[in-house]
Amino acid sequence: MNGGIFGVIAKRIIVALPIVLLASILVFVVLRLLPADPVAMSVPPNATRDEVEALRRALGLHLPIHEQYWIWLTKIATGTLGNSITYAQPVFRLIGQSLPATIELVVVAAVFATVIGLAGGLVMHRLQGRAGEQAADVASTLIMSVPEFLWAIFFILLFGVALNWLPFSGRLDPGVSVPHTTGFLLLDCLIAGRPGAFVNALEHMLLPALALAFGTAPLLMRVLRSSLMEVAQEDYVTMARLRGLNERQILLRHSFKNAFLPTLTLMGVQFSFLFGGTLLVEVIYGYPGIGNMMVEAVRNTDLPIIQGVALVYAFAVLVINLAVDVLVLLLNPKLRVRR
Amino acid sequence: MTAAEKEVPAPRPMNEGRARIRRLLRSGRVLVGGGIVLVIVICALFAPLLAPQDPNNQDLLAQLLPPAWSADGVPEHPLGTDNLGRDTLSRLIYSTRVAVLVAVTASLGAMLLGTTLALVAGYFGGLIDWLVSRAVELWLSFPPVVLSLILIVGFGVGLGNVILAIILVDWTRFCRVVRSEVLVVRRQDYVDAARLAGFSHFRTLWSEVLPAVGPLVLTLLSLEMGIAVIVEAILSFVGMSVESTVPAWGVMIADARKDMFQSIWGMALPIMAIIITVLGFNLLGDGLRRALDPKLRQREIQ
Amino acid sequence: MTRHDMTALLEAKGIVVEAPAGSARVAVLRDLDLALKPASVLGLVGESGAGKSMVGRLIGGILPAGFTVASGSLTFAGRDLLGIATAERQALLGRDIGFIPQQPMTSLNPVRSVGSLFDEHLAKLGVAGRAERRAQAVAALASVQLPDPASLLGRYAHELSGGMCQRVLIAMAFASRPKLLVADEPTTALDVITQARIMALLADLCRKLGTAVLFVTHDLRLAAQVCDEIAVMYAGEVVEQAPARTLLSAPRHPYTQALRNCSPSLDGALLRLVSLPEHMPGLRALADIGGCRFAPRCPISDESCVAAPPPLVETSPGHWVRAAGKCLAAAGLARGEAPHGKGGDGGGLILEADKLSKTFVLRDPLLWWKKRRVDAVKNISFRLRAGEFLGIVGQSGSGKSTLARLLLGLEVASAGRIVLDGSDVTGRFSAHAARRVEAIQMIFQDPQSALNPRRRVASIVTQPMEAGTSPWNARLERAKTLLAETGLAPELAERYPSQLSGGQRQRVNIARSLCNTPRVLVADEIVSGLDVSIQAQILNLLADLRRQHDVALVLISHDLSVVRYLCDRVIVMYRGEAVEEGDTDTVFRSPRHWYTKALMAAVPPDDVHHVWDPHTASSASAPLEPAAET
Repeated sequence: MNGGIFGVIAKRIIVALPIVLLASILVFVVLRLLPADPVAMSVPPNATRDEVEALRRALGLHLPIHEQYWIWLTKIATGTLGNSITYAQPVFRLIGQSLPATIELVVVAAVFATVIGLAGGLVMHRLQGRAGEQAADVASTLIMSVPEFLWAIFFILLFGVALNWLPFSGRLDPGVSVPHTTGFLLLDCLIAGRPGAFVNALEHMLLPALALAFGTAPLLMRVLRSSLMEVAQEDYVTMARLRGLNERQILLRHSFKNAFLPTLTLMGVQFSFLFGGTLLVEVIYGYPGIGNMMVEAVRNTDLPIIQGVALVYAFAVLVINLAVDVLVLLLNPKLRVRR
Repeated sequence: MTAAEKEVPAPRPMNEGRARIRRLLRSGRVLVGGGIVLVIVICALFAPLLAPQDPNNQDLLAQLLPPAWSADGVPEHPLGTDNLGRDTLSRLIYSTRVAVLVAVTASLGAMLLGTTLALVAGYFGGLIDWLVSRAVELWLSFPPVVLSLILIVGFGVGLGNVILAIILVDWTRFCRVVRSEVLVVRRQDYVDAARLAGFSHFRTLWSEVLPAVGPLVLTLLSLEMGIAVIVEAILSFVGMSVESTVPAWGVMIADARKDMFQSIWGMALPIMAIIITVLGFNLLGDGLRRALDPKLRQREIQ
Repeated sequence: MTRHDMTALLEAKGIVVEAPAGSARVAVLRDLDLALKPASVLGLVGESGAGKSMVGRLIGGILPAGFTVASGSLTFAGRDLLGIATAERQALLGRDIGFIPQQPMTSLNPVRSVGSLFDEHLAKLGVAGRAERRAQAVAALASVQLPDPASLLGRYAHELSGGMCQRVLIAMAFASRPKLLVADEPTTALDVITQARIMALLADLCRKLGTAVLFVTHDLRLAAQVCDEIAVMYAGEVVEQAPARTLLSAPRHPYTQALRNCSPSLDGALLRLVSLPEHMPGLRALADIGGCRFAPRCPISDESCVAAPPPLVETSPGHWVRAAGKCLAAAGLARGEAPHGKGGDGGGLILEADKLSKTFVLRDPLLWWKKRRVDAVKNISFRLRAGEFLGIVGQSGSGKSTLARLLLGLEVASAGRIVLDGSDVTGRFSAHAARRVEAIQMIFQDPQSALNPRRRVASIVTQPMEAGTSPWNARLERAKTLLAETGLAPELAERYPSQLSGGQRQRVNIARSLCNTPRVLVADEIVSGLDVSIQAQILNLLADLRRQHDVALVLISHDLSVVRYLCDRVIVMYRGEAVEEGDTDTVFRSPRHWYTKALMAAVPPDDVHHVWDPHTASSASAPLEPAAET
């Protein structure tokens, strides 16, 4: 059976690579449609025409699109994504500095979202047919109507300004510093043996992660609950009941696993949306991740960064989808190929 | 055929369409959601009549005033002013124009593009289906917000481009869901029966398949309107949507963020406006789905 | 009433179960009295909606929401099953009371292996130790004749065929040597040969372990062969109860007689089926019926029947009938008198299939260069004349539905020719659409999916006219004519399919296919989901249509008796090939191919004195059913 799993993973990766390639072409072409001139925006206002032209040639922007793309592609193969126009540093390094922060944030947010979503779904299923169900339903619709960035602002206003319970800016309090080992702050704190800094980092992560989680969890709740409802009607659940199993055994050993599979697939899709949510949430919380960097790059029309970060996002989505596919494969025997 | 073998008819039944509308009107969700949407649309249409002041009228002597019911508030500015002295209530009301325009045009566009592709892909299958599915996969390899941002960079800022960007990103949402439904309908025998009756492919799609996915498309449309409002708010928050002279909720939030500690009302009010609007669309969509989905109704009866 | 034996294992007395119908409550089970002795088999026979499954649900405590027991008692080995505490019931179920479901493939949890399900069940029964449970599971699977039981423990439901799934469920049910087994249509979802095998297995196990069986089925002949006693149910009441052989050979209640008269037989005389009008009353209709519930359909009913429900009367020892005196005194429902003649001598050649083959190429969805070939239809040839009825017999997977789609042009043949009314119409549908639309039409199997729920009946039956220029009035007129031809009231033209019964929908289906007066009709399993009495109506309708329109029919069915009733010639299909063909009577009376012989042997006979042993039927040289295709 294990051989089969690796085969499927390899198959998925092979199929996904052309997609990433096409995605990069898409981004490249769209960005070249630019009405504004990126070069003109990054030189001082009194530069001469010749200086502007020189810079344009240096950046290779005078070549036709497909040549520019080819150059960019080959440069990636040799390990560079170009230099940022704004910071005049390699894009790779800039991404390497900011990516761990975002990944950390997304992972914590995903954990929150999973716990809230699954627990909420089970609770809503229990409430079925009773008084609280309609109220829970409307409440979840209400929560779903609030996008992540508004949750982010709301949490700042409530927990940050009004109640002053939690910090809402940056990754650590000013004055607290931790030696940089992996870039993942929580890990670095543990490695350096600084529990106080660990708690501080967690505090800073709490609000943004919660905001991200609230954007995803209600949908997970609903899907789990409706899956549970559907599964409850299935023949095998009736048979389990007729074999004398009690309701708890039926829920845990028969219903849940079957209902979890469609929820898992949805979780994969939602977590790629979670990545997109980091854009604004990082801006609002001043969190130094790639989302923040992307928004700044967009404001400054810094093409190399935009292209590089877009690729990173595409990769991230690919990895998440792959992970979910593998998990579903492991859990759903119907998809496994039997020799 | 003896008389005894003939089937005896029952009393005259109700029109199916009218029954549906009646069901819709009984749904609490549809009424509340539809009501909210109606209020927003009225604000948008009659903004000049409803707003107490010109939304761009700056009054530097009356900056960051709180709403009229608190201590420092004044009655001319019922909900207070922003950092340039502009009346918040008027700006809120005028912002509905942007919201409604984006909600209606962007979602209709995404619906048309996504549904057409879904119908064609699901019905004909084969190569067309493969191409469309790969295109959807390609689109979905980016988080939607990231893709819209990239499109805006490419097209340039402005409301028209925002609408275009939303259409070009969100058609996938329609396409995916409608396509699976089309696949289910395609397997029904009455589609084959239509072909056997001499219907062309186009006619079959139009008279058999499209009405079957109609309710689903309607529900998705309502939800998409909420999503369009959110995306526009995000883009105007980062300053990539409307010009500075046009009031929009995202812009209001971004402006008020600088003075967050002095006056939370400047942020709280446009936030509530967005939430209520999106809630209205979501309730409407949810209500439509429950009223029009026969399986769901069966469960609710029991 | 002294019906009840003191030694009864399962006893029901005067049970009334009510359900909501609008604002009123209606009795879905009324005045139910049953007694099941240990180690005996009681059959509950009835059509869908008769309430026969309700008894099993009562025992299992899984009545649908809103259904309540208004009165009566149900005891099992002296214990009250209605008022029992949940925990005690859960202790009984799976141990002393076993259940065999109707749909075996969906009754096994798809994400858990057979071994894991068995382990859970045996643990609940109190078997300690993983190894011990595993050993017992292997022994149980071996006892139901499943090959290689040890490796089966690691398999999942989708890897097994329907018959194998049912055997697993039987093994689980018998693992605890239950005193009572409730089998709710255990073989309905399986093909004919598997059906015989499973029945043989059940008979063996019950005899060996002394298990009493409550056998729920719609098949009267099957019940007569395997049960000791049969109770016939109609609209929630037991209308007749008697020892099995007596019930089939000499039924006293008009409904039982009608049931017997409207099932086509495989070996008896070919008599016209006498069908009952309309259908069994549904929940709402029951609320309006006072008196005898069968009266609206009964051919010998009169005003006295509506007054009060008739009591259960013992006409001879052990034989109970729910009827008034006059019903019993009546001569009884006659079997169809007129020898049922089949069609005309046939006219000219209408449809010819010449070495038709269809191979499906299945591609991997992602890596599209990986292919797998499936031969659905191999080398089928036949000739059909005007007015002739050709039957195609096969079980699921034999390729018969693909053949139907080939004939209509919904699939393109990989090889061979189709000649329709003189012109070659092989190839894509659109190339020959005009010719096909006029000449050949299909009656679809499932009326639920064959009628567009958003169209009115009139629009459906005249759909072929939509492309033309006929005004709505002309279409409405044509619709009413077509409805009348198929025995439906013209008022139904304004309705939607959801407002019709199953039998009415099937007639609308047939009416639509007649709209362009085709020369050939293809009917794919059109009566398989219908109750026997409705089935008889449809079969007679087809026979009448042949007389009126001289239309030829290709009738595809898995049910040999249906094919025997209507068709002049028959082709038997097995795995895509025609294994036997010829004149219907000849083929069925003296089959030559082993598969046809196995099919014939697997069907319970009409004559009760002809003892049918499922063992001989199932030991025919057919191989064990293959594992499910992925």
